[in-house]
Amino acid sequence: MQIKVKLYASLRRQKFDEADWEITPDQKIASIVEQLGLARQDVGTVLVNGLHAGWDETVADGDVVSLLPRMGGG
Amino acid sequence: MSEKTISNNPASVIYQRCTVDLATGTTTFAQVPCKNLEDVLGGFGRSFQILAERDIAEAYCPENPVILNTGLLTGTSIMTGMRSYFSGYSPLKQSGTGRPGAMWSTGSGNFGNKFKWTGLDEVIFENRSERPVYALLKEGANGPEVELKPADHLVGLTGHAKIMALYQEYPEAHFAAIGPAGENWQNNYMGAVVMSTDNELKSGEPKSRFAGRGGMGSLMGYKNLLAVVALSSDKLQKITPEIRDVNRDILKSGGSARFQPASQGGGGGTWANIEVLQVFHAVPLNNFRPKGNDDVERLFRDEVEKEFDIATEACHRCGIRCHNNLFYKNEDGSRGKLAAKFDFEPLILFGSNLGVHEPAKVCDLIHRCDLLGMDAISLGTTISYVLDYNERHPDKPLFNGATFGDYDKIAELIEGAGRGTLPGIARGVKRLSEETGETAYAMHVKGLELPAYLPDTNPGYMFAIAGGHMSMGTHMMLAKEGKHSLEEWTQAITTGGLLQVGYDMIGLCKFVGVGIGHDIIVRALKEAAGLEIASEDIVAAVRRAYLRGLALELRQGFHEEKEYTLPSQVMNDPNPKVTLPKFITNEFLGELRQRVWGIFKPEMKGLLPVQGE
Repeated sequence: MQIKVKLYASLRRQKFDEADWEITPDQKIASIVEQLGLARQDVGTVLVNGLHAGWDETVADGDVVSLLPRMGGG
Repeated sequence: MSEKTISNNPASVIYQRCTVDLATGTTTFAQVPCKNLEDVLGGFGRSFQILAERDIAEAYCPENPVILNTGLLTGTSIMTGMRSYFSGYSPLKQSGTGRPGAMWSTGSGNFGNKFKWTGLDEVIFENRSERPVYALLKEGANGPEVELKPADHLVGLTGHAKIMALYQEYPEAHFAAIGPAGENWQNNYMGAVVMSTDNELKSGEPKSRFAGRGGMGSLMGYKNLLAVVALSSDKLQKITPEIRDVNRDILKSGGSARFQPASQGGGGGTWANIEVLQVFHAVPLNNFRPKGNDDVERLFRDEVEKEFDIATEACHRCGIRCHNNLFYKNEDGSRGKLAAKFDFEPLILFGSNLGVHEPAKVCDLIHRCDLLGMDAISLGTTISYVLDYNERHPDKPLFNGATFGDYDKIAELIEGAGRGTLPGIARGVKRLSEETGETAYAMHVKGLELPAYLPDTNPGYMFAIAGGHMSMGTHMMLAKEGKHSLEEWTQAITTGGLLQVGYDMIGLCKFVGVGIGHDIIVRALKEAAGLEIASEDIVAAVRRAYLRGLALELRQGFHEEKEYTLPSQVMNDPNPKVTLPKFITNEFLGELRQRVWGIFKPEMKGLLPVQGE
């Protein structure tokens, strides 16, 4: 099945802004991030269709997965 | 600070204090044994205990000291260990009773190191001088020496110009100075302390650091103390294999990676926050009221790179390299003069939050604020209120009638605030909004202007004791984790959030990015300061120091309900454009306050001295 992956800030600069991505059913977000070639420690926040999601969650066909780098500072 | 082991005997650690009477010029040195672990760790943990001993009814009084001190790791070879702290009762932070709140402000650069290397851990500036002076702190043959010198030749100069003038006289020293804003203390309560960096002294460019929050520069101005010179030889601590490992771990830990250069795979400093928060339309725009559009994207790094040459630079020997300095490009493409240092706070507060989106104009506004020596957060946030007010009242605007995006008029307001001709702005947004009668959209808590994170996303601001995001580490929790229940916010404020202030005790920069009880911190204290302190003891001391600060707020008259709140616009007119959960209601805040005070208050008992004793 296919999802849309959106990357932001430093993650975007490493890979791409936005892409359609083939995954297997029941594939967890942690596995998708690994498949993308991103280090898990570089990803601070995961959104699925705009809502915060955890590493062990799965996604559905057509979902939009947004990956944000770790944030902080002042 | 003497190097001894410590367990249950903080008095075995001695620190060197000098008390300077600015009225008479007399200096008194003392070797002071630490009373508790907060004293040992240093920074505000120590200075607030001194402030707590004083009954101060107004900030501008001779009895209100300026306390300059360091943290335990300042001047060591632990990466980022160069912080110095300025503490006192703030002219800006003020309770409803009119009494001032205790504050500290801190910065890096190389001043803290040089100060520590003079042999001093603390200088208390008492009373005020009749004439402008600067303090010369230096190492002498028999220990540290302190002397007051005439500073008439520095009057009127920018903070950077004062530093460069003193550098001509003391080429081996580093400097902390005030700008015109601090000199105009009667009309400007947001004066910063401007601190020199190696880059600044070598290049002559204004690459200063700032201890900006709470008007500590204005308090120095009131005392007629225009600068402090720290003159010592360099005493670089030997980097042992253990210290090398600590520094390596600081760099390799995920915590600091987000601040490291984008070119090296890091997050690119706090600048990157703008792109992340824009995902939720949560970047402050037009006085903290995002419109759900893409205006702020013109300030994304990719866009700015088209126009400017971006150099990644660092404080003294710091491998995190978080500074993003923007230089104009010459016609031939080579690097031109410095435009400004682009970090999240000034970038937003002098950019999108004022409706200014052209990078060159934002640079200019930041630059003006820096040279005049003001706190970018307080000034930017107060001006955004003025622009908002004027947009709501086009027929009777404030000041020069500036509105959002009106770059030329905004520049006039900055100049007027810094030069002391616009006290309505430079005394902060709390006072201004009380004068206009429109407080709902005045973005402050307890008189301190909010940093560039929406209050709609952070009820933790209520319990920050020295600035919204630097003394309560909850400002990005909602965007990061999406958490918005009472239980989660109570937990965040009363555990991890408050521990953020621990960095303002030990002498390291928050950009080390790990929790204060982390093994890296324990090892750093052991290897660089020679003190074995268990993680739980560090955490307990930081917690006590924070709670002492909170207790001091209540003693100064901050109302535990009315003043521990957010700007009412957040609750009464939530912004539909922000895509994060909208959970902050009056009822939510009321319940949150009750739960947090319920946890904190029993622990606060006995943390303050009984007055009169």
